[in-house]
Amino acid sequence: MSLTRRILLAGLAALPLSLPVSLSPALAETPASRIVSIGGGVTEIVFALGQQHRLVARDTTSTYPPEAELLPDVGYIRRLSPEGVLSVQPDLILTDEGAGPPETVELLENAGIPFREVPQGFDRAAILAKIHRVGEVLGVSAEAEALAEEVAADLDAAMAQAGAMDKRVLFIISMQGGRVMASGTGTAADGIINMVGAQNAVSEYPGYKTLTDEAITRAAPDVILMMSRNGEHTSTTEMLLANPAIATTPAGQAEAFVTMDGMYMLGFSVRTADAVRDLARALRDSGTALNQGG
Amino acid sequence: MNAPLTHAPAAAEADEHLSGRNIRLGLRGKQILDSVDFTARPGEVTAIVGPNGSGKTTLLRCLTGEIAGQCAPGSTIRMGALDVTRAEPWLLAQRRAVLAQATSLAFPFTVLEVVRLGAEGAGGAARARQALAQVDLGHYAERYYQELSGGEQQRVQLARVLAQLDAPRGHHGPRWLFLDEPVSALDIGHQLQVMEIARAFARNGGGVVAVMHDLNLTAMFAQEVVLLNQGRVLGAGAPAEVLTDRLLETAYGCRLRIGVAPRDGLFLLPQTAEQGN
Amino acid sequence: MVALPHPEAPALEHGDRRRRARQLRLVLAGVLLVTVLLSLAVGAAGTSLWQSLAAVLRGEAIPLSDSIVLWQIRAPRTLMGMGVGAALAVSGALMQGLFRNPLADPGIVGVSAGAGLGAITAIVLGAFLPLGLLTALGFYLVPLAAFLGSWLSTILLYRVATRSGRTSVAVMLLAGIALGALTGAASGVMVYIADDNQLRDLTFWGMGSLAGATWPKVLTGMAVILPALCAAPLLARGLNALSLGEAAAYHLGIRIQRVKNLAILAVAAATGAAVAMSGGIGFVGIVVPHLLRLVSGPDHRELLPNAALLGAALLLVADIISRVVIAPAELPIGIVTAILGGPFFLWILLRQRGVLDL
Repeated sequence: MSLTRRILLAGLAALPLSLPVSLSPALAETPASRIVSIGGGVTEIVFALGQQHRLVARDTTSTYPPEAELLPDVGYIRRLSPEGVLSVQPDLILTDEGAGPPETVELLENAGIPFREVPQGFDRAAILAKIHRVGEVLGVSAEAEALAEEVAADLDAAMAQAGAMDKRVLFIISMQGGRVMASGTGTAADGIINMVGAQNAVSEYPGYKTLTDEAITRAAPDVILMMSRNGEHTSTTEMLLANPAIATTPAGQAEAFVTMDGMYMLGFSVRTADAVRDLARALRDSGTALNQGG
Repeated sequence: MNAPLTHAPAAAEADEHLSGRNIRLGLRGKQILDSVDFTARPGEVTAIVGPNGSGKTTLLRCLTGEIAGQCAPGSTIRMGALDVTRAEPWLLAQRRAVLAQATSLAFPFTVLEVVRLGAEGAGGAARARQALAQVDLGHYAERYYQELSGGEQQRVQLARVLAQLDAPRGHHGPRWLFLDEPVSALDIGHQLQVMEIARAFARNGGGVVAVMHDLNLTAMFAQEVVLLNQGRVLGAGAPAEVLTDRLLETAYGCRLRIGVAPRDGLFLLPQTAEQGN
Repeated sequence: MVALPHPEAPALEHGDRRRRARQLRLVLAGVLLVTVLLSLAVGAAGTSLWQSLAAVLRGEAIPLSDSIVLWQIRAPRTLMGMGVGAALAVSGALMQGLFRNPLADPGIVGVSAGAGLGAITAIVLGAFLPLGLLTALGFYLVPLAAFLGSWLSTILLYRVATRSGRTSVAVMLLAGIALGALTGAASGVMVYIADDNQLRDLTFWGMGSLAGATWPKVLTGMAVILPALCAAPLLARGLNALSLGEAAAYHLGIRIQRVKNLAILAVAAATGAAVAMSGGIGFVGIVVPHLLRLVSGPDHRELLPNAALLGAALLLVADIISRVVIAPAELPIGIVTAILGGPFFLWILLRQRGVLDL
């Protein structure tokens, strides 16, 4: 016990002096080479910029491209463990908005590891802003500029191709216990529905809420959109049809159900143009035959 | 500490009595005890008898201090110099111990551990063992309490109560043993044994107050009997004065005859066991 | 695992298990020391406690990153694990003694429900606080709200169950169930208005974690937990007597109302602080006292200190598991304790069925 105390006391004595200066002076000069990328969209951009050799770890949502999954996983963005992050000896943390808990963020900042947030957003401009921000943080602004132009052109083309649809889309995030939790406005789902030129069937509230049966009927969606879970499309269809309210909607009657990989559809990153194309096609075709994107 | 003690080193004999005056207690508008006067002397076994619902146990709970605070104003209960209605529990615990009709136990204590709940501090273990031997359960010390029969559990509780008091007299004067139907769960052999323990406690200078259902045992062991009926004292005094045909008939509502053997049929009296000893 | 001591086992010295309990305390202290060292030595970062120790003993400076890992991460976390584990286990033992029921836990006095409601409210409505207040409170907001919530609910229950100076534990138990339902509903409302991120925070809070350990947080929490732990042994005699029932305890000279007041106060403080620091961590409060009663008897004079030691050691072990299993990420510790505690608890119940009236 006394040994432990000695080391703790020694540490305590050393800290107040050493912490504020810490490792940061060195970092300011040399570009970060041990980066932890947190957030699936951010990681995709790092890979698209060809900077993946600088990554040492990722978060749980960073599953694309498949090579990303080879990196150690430091956990969920809002529940980062300080020692877990420190263990990969990072010199930069590049993260989506909302990394936490605040204790971990503060500790890592105290340890002299810069925290760089990438702004969130669910539209074309937000995607481009993310790319610029990642490029800026990684010191590859020129490449980011080129990537952003490429992505912008791709997005414009995809959105133009999607055009406008008079389909009302209901995005259901979960149906736990038969309760339908659906997206209102201001969400990633709302963003992608707008980008493909369709209408969100629910515009009365922001965020995700549980819908009553009557609200579902009144929303009268033409298509129901969900995130896919390992290709369980049949069971999803059965689950949706089992809900009497959904069965009465146009979507239910036509079995117009579309599922798509969540990160692909809602990541708002470099793959979004493809997602827009796939989703637009799936929405147009829905009701005539079962479709699955992603 | 507002010690309701008025220390008189050479206390007169009357100062050693347990006495209640004008005890009145109502619960939810119902008068349970009505102007009860009660006196018990050290060196004696005092029995409280009476029909079900006559207030025996309530009186006992007043005398032990447990519900003394709820008595109506004007009720006084004194244990020697100690005002029972206001005494701190630990002061009372030094002077009296209480054996309830039934005691449940929450955790798996062994028999010896239960007895030691009453006997703490130095010499506690020895006192506990001695008390267990007194109730004939010395060989059960290591058993779990919950494994024993109801009668055995009751005797363990008696041992705990005896261990709490250590000796029948302390430097404050006599100690008091309160027993609420101590023998109702016991076979006749152990009934006699328990009553003998009570008598020995009294003979050694302590006081015993027992709620009794068995009038034969009462007649055998009590020097003083208090007969309650509907919350009032119907009679108090020596057994021969209180256990009379007239009073018992009034109290219990049936014709009873004292000292008369039935004309036919078997009967058995505990008195015969004592004579055989 | 641990066998129920047979009544006639020779190890029972004269039917008195206190000697065994005292030996057990030495063993537990040793185990705790080992787990503390392990907790300081084990972690994703691979920082070696031994090398750092050796360096300090040689008078050399240890690298800054090692110093941060040891001093800013593992040390407060270890202390928090000890404090939370001891608080939960001792609170469980106190509640079980007070309610005379081996299945009681601090949840009964509404601490957990209140803390949960406080935390959930802070997570969801924290954003509506004035910005100045929000930044001033910083990451203390949720723990503080959890602590306040646990206190308010305990006080409420206590007032409901106390009439003319006497607290009815039965009424408190029933009122606790009603309050649990009420706070459950209120939490439901909060969940309804929560956004996506807040929902995730709620879920994780409910699973518990020691990951947020920082010195200020741990020291603040310990300032509340330690006095409660120190007060616990004062209750041992009273709780022992209470196992015979309230009347018998009174006859033995116990001031029952004072025991109740102190026990509830200690539990509300210790559990409130523990839950505030670490979120919901289940089973420690039930499993630890139960296990100790099986091994060395229910005497609270031994049970309470032993529960503090075993609770601390157990939570550290659970925490070590939680941070190495999927390193560098970590498992919420509430999941680990539930996975360890759930089956164990069932096993106890199966063993004791029919033996003792629970």
